Formats: sequence, C-alpha cells, structure tokens
Amino acid sequence: MVRMDNIVKSFGPQTVLSGVTFEAREKQIFGLLGRSGAGKTTIINILTNQLKADSGSHEIGAPPFETGLMLDEDGLFPRLSCIENLDVFATIYKIPRKKALEALQNVELGGSEKKPVNKLSKGMRQRLALARAILHEPKALFLDEPTSGLDPVTAHGIHKLILQLRDRGTTIFLTTHNMEESVKLCDYVALLHGGKIVEQGVPTEVCERHNAMKTMPDMEAVFIKMTGEAAE
Amino acid sequence: MRSISAIFVKQARDALKNATIFIQFILFPIMAFVMTEMMAKPDPEIPNSMFAVTFGAMFAGMTPLTLIAMAIAEDKENKSLRFLSMAGVKPHHYLTGITGFVLIACAVVSVLFALIAEFSGMLMIRFVGVLLLGATASAALGATVGIFAKNQQSATALATPLAVMLALVPMMSQFNESVRRIAGVVFTVQMNVIFTNEPTASMAEPLLMICANIVVFVGLFVLAYKKKRLNS
Ligand SMILES: Nc1ncnc2c1ncn2[C@@H]1O[C@H](COP(=O)(O)OP(=O)(O)OP(=O)(O)O)[C@@H](O)[C@H]1O
Ligand SMILES: [Mg+2]
Repeated sequence: MVRMDNIVKSFGPQTVLSGVTFEAREKQIFGLLGRSGAGKTTIINILTNQLKADSGSHEIGAPPFETGLMLDEDGLFPRLSCIENLDVFATIYKIPRKKALEALQNVELGGSEKKPVNKLSKGMRQRLALARAILHEPKALFLDEPTSGLDPVTAHGIHKLILQLRDRGTTIFLTTHNMEESVKLCDYVALLHGGKIVEQGVPTEVCERHNAMKTMPDMEAVFIKMTGEAAE
Repeated sequence: MRSISAIFVKQARDALKNATIFIQFILFPIMAFVMTEMMAKPDPEIPNSMFAVTFGAMFAGMTPLTLIAMAIAEDKENKSLRFLSMAGVKPHHYLTGITGFVLIACAVVSVLFALIAEFSGMLMIRFVGVLLLGATASAALGATVGIFAKNQQSATALATPLAVMLALVPMMSQFNESVRRIAGVVFTVQMNVIFTNEPTASMAEPLLMICANIVVFVGLFVLAYKKKRLNS
C-alpha cells in the first residue's frame, strides 16, 4: 500500500503541496495526473524519502531495497554499457547476471547490451532506466512519466510490461501527461491541482462523473475541466 | 561489501573507457620513462632515478585529487548517487569503492615508477610506500572537493588549481628559503624532502607531516560531508 496523509510541502515561499491525501492499493496501478509543475515529481520524491515533507505522514509498505524507481533524470553511468550499468545494481542486490540480461530483454534492449549509454537514443535510455528499476523485482515501483517522449510502439511495449508486473503482484505508482494511457493502464487515478487531490477514482467512474464518456472514457476532458481554468 | 565491490568495478570499467581519466594514469609514467631513457641515462650528471621520482611525486599529489573529485561530482550531477542510495548503498560504501579503486590503481602505477627508477628491495618499498601515503592525502582532499562541488564543472575549477599547486610547491620551495619554511606543511613538499634526502636519513619527521596532512584532509572531508551530505 502506498499512502499519503495530509502532506504539506513548500519550497521557500511557494507552497507546492497543501494537504495531499490519497491511498494506492496494493497490486494495483495508481496514476497521478496533474499539470506541469503541479507537484507530481515532488510527491514521488517524498514517498521515496529523497525529500522531506513539511508535515503529514506517508508510507509505501516496502523497504528501500524492495522499491524500484524511475525518474526523468535517469542516473545512468554514461560511459558504461547497458549491461554494465545493470551489473552495478545486480551486484548490489546480489542478483545473477542472467536476471540482468532478462531485464534487458524485457525492455527490448537485448540487442544493445554492449552499447554504451551515451550512444543510446532517449527512448533506449528510458527503457534501460526501467530495466534497472525492475531488476530486483520490487514490491513497489515508482515511475515518473515512464513513456513520455517514446514512440507509440515502444510505449505500447512498456504498457504491456507494466501490466505484466502488476499481474505478478507489483504495486505501481506512476505519473503521466498521457490521458489515454491513464485510462488504459491505471486501476485508479488521482488528479493533483492547486496543491490538493481534486478528483480521484477508477478511471471510467471518474469520467462518468463528469459526463465525459464518449465511445471511450474521455479523461482529457475531465483533466481540462478540473485544471484548465487558467488556460482558457 | 557487495556495494563496495559494485562501485569499485564500476569505477574500474569507467576508467578504462574514459580517455581523460585513463590518460592521467599513463601520462606521468610514460613521460618519466621517455625522459629517463632519453636524458637521464645518456647523461652521467643526472641520476637515473630522477625523472621517475619527480613525476611519481607529481602523480601521487595530483591524480587521486582530480580523479576522485571528478568521479564524485559526476555521479552527483547525473543523479546516479540517488539511485545508488535508493538501492541501499551507504555513502561510506560509495566513497570506499571510489577511493579504493583510485588508490589501488595508484599503487600499480607507483610500482611502475619504481621500476623506471630501477629501485629494488627496501628502496622500492620505501618509494612506493611514500607515494601511496601522498596519494592517500591527495585522495582525501579530492573527496572533499567532490562533495563540495555542485557539478563537474565546479569540481574541475576547484581541483585543477589545487593539483597544480601541490605539484609546483616542492619546486618553488627549492629556490626560496621562506617559501620552503611555509610550504613545509604541504605533503608534496615532504615527499620531496624524503626523496632528496639520503635513503639512510631519518624519515620520521616528513612522514609525520604527511600523516598530519591526511588527518587534516579527512577532517575537512568530514566537515564538508556533514554540511553538504552526498546528494544535495
Ligand atoms: N528543489 C526544488 N526547489 C525549489 N522548487 C522546486 C524544487 N523542486 C520542485 N520545485 C517546484 O515545485 C513545483 C512542482 O514541481 P514538480 O517537479 O513536482 O512538478 P511536476 O508535477 O512533476 O511537473 P512536470 O509534469 O513538469 O514534471 C514546481 O513549481 C517547481 O518549480
Ligand atoms: Mg515531474
């Protein structure tokens, strides 16, 4: 279970989170939506203890070594190859190399294992960062915009992988700007705006509540309705 | 232990792929070798060991400082440290892995210098031991700079002038009595004192000064670490 209770966080004079409360169930995919600058990454940083909240409490129901993390800053070692990058963490987690190679296969980097990271495309780096996040089969997985900037085919591959991980019992917490993705992928979504969660629920139910069910649940309409006042 | 060896291997692989780092390890011995063969050996006035001793002392003073400062700053800037700490790597494991690799590589290169100088037996042990002691002082200073620097650029800006100064002070103090008195506190000067004295002369005082350098730099490091941590 990933839970936040009344979290407040300010950076200097700017209050980014002003009482955020939510609960992500175990073995589900929880999607956190919100406009750029809403505080999504800040929430991941607080949950994974890389940032201290001003007040409130939170838990993720898994110790650090059973937690996987993927951020937009990938933290890869640029001159090492894909497999050498995973080797570092495989050694730390005491995982056989076979598993690292499997993880590369899973993100379709099987053919590029010897390529240095600084010769990879952005999408390939992102997939390698995902491979590193899931290498040790974590109980809780935090993904900050896992498919941003990827081509549709690669993104689809990553969606499949995320769903597989959930079916194997991983609790997944992700942020995304892709509304279609949030509907397709998430068991539960929460919408962060003005420092608070302004809407949450099962995606279809959320869309029904806002009369945004066309042939498909239209999360985008809900998103714009709830957060878009300034953009009009 | 696993974390330390993971970092150690990572650093070793990186050194082999990173031309600017690799060259630091081989440039000084190559220069010493070439000058010994071309200038010292044909000229009876110049002792055969002179260039190896001079470049060896420069190497031990400069290389650990710049390499360790750069490595820490880069891992910090790339956010690699965040992922390592999420995986449970403690700061002291990380630092041990990095400095451990650099010092062992320095030990190998120091033996190379001893061979070029044609030292053997006790003379070789004494020479390599003094170089390694100096390298340790340099490494502690490098770790301090690495922690202090915001990014690679500022690490270079701090480490380079420091390293150049450490390399030049012994030479400057040979020409000027008052410089010599003040500069005596610097470990590279004391290394030079040991190497220019007769091998039979007592080394107690200079060795004590070098150790005092190590203590001061480790103290500085602890202060810097308490103030800045590794991740901020
Ligand atoms: N270390 C920091 N110091 C100062 N301000 C910060 C810091 N980190 C985040 N902020 C501010 O907090 C706000 C939320 O940032 P955050 O990165 O959490 O947004 P986000 O929802 O992840 O946005 P995006 O969708 O663009 O990734 C922003 O206004 C940002 O400027
Ligand atoms: Mg973000």
